[in-house]
Amino acid sequence: MKNRPLSFSVNLKIDKSQNNSSQFDYWILFSVIFLCSFGLAMIYSSSNSLEMTIRQGAYFFLGLVGMLLLAFSNFRKMEVFYLHSFWPALFLLIIVLFFPSENSKTSRWIDLGLFTFQPSELMRFILPISAASFLTKNLKTKMKDMWLVIFVTLVCFYLVAVQPDLGTSIIVLLAGLLPVIISGFPWIYIFFGGFLATLSLPLIWMSLYDYQKQRILTLFNPEADIYGAGWNIVQSKIAVGSGGLYGKGFLNGSQSQLNFIPESHSDFIFSVIAEEFGLLGISILFFIYGILIYRLLIVSFYSSNKFAKMVSGTLSIILLAYISINISMVIGLLPVVGMPLPFLSQGGTALVVNLLTIGIILSLRKEV
Amino acid sequence: MSIFDNKKDSNETYRIVIFLSPFLILLFLAFLQILNLSYFNADTFKTQSESNRLYQSKIIPQRGFIFDSKNTLLVENNIQQDLEINPSFIENPRIFLKQIADLLELNLNKIESDFYIRATGKSPNEPYILIKNLNEKQIAKLSVNLKKIKGAEIISSFSRNVIHKEVMAPVIGYVGNISREDIFNNPELSQFKSLKIGKTGVEKDFDSILRGNMGYRIQERDSNGKLIRNISLEPPVKGKDLQLSIDLDLQKELFSDFKGRKGALVAIEPKTGLIRALISSPTYNPNLLNTINDYDEVKSLFADKDSPLFNRALSGQYPPASTLKPFVGMAALEAETISWEKQIIDSGVYYVEGDERPYKGWKEGGHGNVDMKKAIVESSDVYFYSLAYDLTISNLSPFLEKFGYGKQSGLSKNEAKGILPSRKWKLGYIGEAWFKGDTINMGIGQGYITATPIQIALAYAALANKGEIVKPRIIEKVGSDSTEKVSKLNISLSDNKNWKRIEEALLGVVEASNGTANNIYDRNIRIAGKTGTAQVKSIGETEYKFLREDESLRDHALFVGYGPVENPKLVVVAIIENGESGSAVAAPFVRKAINFYSKNEK
Repeated sequence: MKNRPLSFSVNLKIDKSQNNSSQFDYWILFSVIFLCSFGLAMIYSSSNSLEMTIRQGAYFFLGLVGMLLLAFSNFRKMEVFYLHSFWPALFLLIIVLFFPSENSKTSRWIDLGLFTFQPSELMRFILPISAASFLTKNLKTKMKDMWLVIFVTLVCFYLVAVQPDLGTSIIVLLAGLLPVIISGFPWIYIFFGGFLATLSLPLIWMSLYDYQKQRILTLFNPEADIYGAGWNIVQSKIAVGSGGLYGKGFLNGSQSQLNFIPESHSDFIFSVIAEEFGLLGISILFFIYGILIYRLLIVSFYSSNKFAKMVSGTLSIILLAYISINISMVIGLLPVVGMPLPFLSQGGTALVVNLLTIGIILSLRKEV
Repeated sequence: MSIFDNKKDSNETYRIVIFLSPFLILLFLAFLQILNLSYFNADTFKTQSESNRLYQSKIIPQRGFIFDSKNTLLVENNIQQDLEINPSFIENPRIFLKQIADLLELNLNKIESDFYIRATGKSPNEPYILIKNLNEKQIAKLSVNLKKIKGAEIISSFSRNVIHKEVMAPVIGYVGNISREDIFNNPELSQFKSLKIGKTGVEKDFDSILRGNMGYRIQERDSNGKLIRNISLEPPVKGKDLQLSIDLDLQKELFSDFKGRKGALVAIEPKTGLIRALISSPTYNPNLLNTINDYDEVKSLFADKDSPLFNRALSGQYPPASTLKPFVGMAALEAETISWEKQIIDSGVYYVEGDERPYKGWKEGGHGNVDMKKAIVESSDVYFYSLAYDLTISNLSPFLEKFGYGKQSGLSKNEAKGILPSRKWKLGYIGEAWFKGDTINMGIGQGYITATPIQIALAYAALANKGEIVKPRIIEKVGSDSTEKVSKLNISLSDNKNWKRIEEALLGVVEASNGTANNIYDRNIRIAGKTGTAQVKSIGETEYKFLREDESLRDHALFVGYGPVENPKLVVVAIIENGESGSAVAAPFVRKAINFYSKNEK
């Protein structure tokens, strides 16, 4: 079965793009390298820490190697591996609740001595792949299997939510539910599920921590909590707005250089970019993100293979979710949840996982 | 069978697009918002960012007041004026500091070093205090010239003032800046960088109550640091007031009698556990430490060899000496190795069979035939050597532990434990096996055993209470809520009449003509107590006279007593270091305390 010739799965649409797609997609490669290098420069600008920048550079290098290895690997041969890699990821997710890194108030990180590592990031990457693999084990996806994946996803969602990490838990929810939805989960259930989720909003509200509630309230009235979360948003907006058309120039953003913006090197890196490079810089950034997402989506659109569609579709949507939620949050459209900007924010696990995601999609592309 | 099937299913592509779209819409909205911020409103934000900067600062809360048991104010907060600077407005620190130094007639080098030391670890736009407690002349000069100097401002702050300085210092303690160690012990403190917290005494033990809550203020300032307007203010919450159980009049009266001699005194109400007086001498002026600008000013205080900062009442570890004898006697009665009636011949020296080493009593020639009561009244050493020898350490230590020896009383975090030796303890700490001779020495409260004044007071409070051990308290009220008595243990003896008989023996110490503290006899207010003379160094007789010349090697004088015996109101322990005579030097403190307190307390 494994060596079934590709030509069987080729149809007219694929044929058109066959000329390009059998080759390596340099658009994706170069936009990713551009984003990461730009990210390194911005981390240096916002943190003024060469050490932090070098550290992130090391993760970038590591992730890039991993990405290329995955891109040139034979994805089909790895299928069993992906299906079962869910278990170690789940194991780490449980472990982190009991043995979190002692340097943090939340139990998000596992301390491995040399570096810390975030199991929830791994899970949002593994979950869609193993879910897709599980759902496609039969020619026609069974309802029973879909319900099982939904159940497992809710468990993972819960484990991340109690860390507490609201942002990533929402991503994990997407990561598990999207393969089910794409594989043909009945619309009536999807609407019903959405309806149930809306009904349970008050319940979710009650289970939020005080600081999380505060952040949501702040969104509607930043002046109410101008000291805490409101302060961040007000300052971040000033940074974005004061960047103007062309920005204040690299290393010249007064908002970020004077430490007005909190976490300016991680979650709030977008406001530093906006302040230093202005609307022009942001437009270029949007354009490059656009190219990347478009090239990634092509894989899922033109693939005739259900598994490839599910995996690349889900991973692309998640990437877009990260970008849109992070940006909306730093300009005050959404409440502040811990969500980094892909390829740009400081954070080793997130960067490596994002690069591996690209690697997977590149390798699926070969299978188109 | 495989994940690769040929069936083209555009349904999946639709679903991907449908679930992609909300995020695309969100991104589109975000772009509109960015356009709104950085294109249509760029000028507004540019001004906000460049000339109208928002500054967030913390407002330090006022610490709670401290009162004595009769509501006399003991600790208040004075308002002082400080010079606060905001580094982000200082263009040239050298010129700035020179201006300040010239204006205030201060040493430039000192200001410079303060400037750089205090700036470390702070963000560039966080204001901090450069010069504390400005005098009137400095304030006058500054207020005229401050407009010309960018980045400096006079602000007022509180400084802690202990009204009765030295008298109350050991009880109250002092406050100081938060150290790294403080943050390590309590990470919560890291957000209160500029706050002062209690370092010793009540200020430390009840810091979280006295501290209050930070206030916050957001101000809008122009690029020169000039205040444009206050945007919002969340006022700080003052800390809660404390009412101590200390009776200031009693404390003052007794403190003056110390006349600077080294020693300690604890007076405690046995029934409630409330501390009425707590003295450690010599002492210090806590206000020096409360307002300290730099360490040099108080260096001498920390280097003083009489250790004025050391709280002898809670942490001084002294041999309990003869004050331990009643407990040794009770332990022997419990173990039934002695009876009240049995007599032992005290010829001044005690020998263990088959050992030539003499254990001498304090009185040459001895006390003759002694029974338990006489042994306590006259403080016979030989009687208690013999008792301890028969009792053995395995019986003695556990009995003493019940009375609180070797354990912290729980009054304060900075309290010593004393030493209650046992076989295991000696093996662990000294590295030697326990000898019979160690037990014999312990029979008269000498040797390895040490106790703090508060421990001795609590052990005698248990005698006054006929067995009830009460947890000591120094706080009577927090805000308007009274604290409550905590009873820790009720010691029961095999024969409860023994409480009464021990008390009679202790009464004899004061009231019998042969009692060691007969000098403080007063038939109106009856006191039961025990003298003690703690050897600083164990020495032979020939050396003794010579060594008495050196004051620091003279014996410590102890007395502990309670009264009025019919209804004990106060247990008092007094220790005068190198005071030599328990009866002549220490006992008068106890008499005075009990008489004074009984008269003033209705």
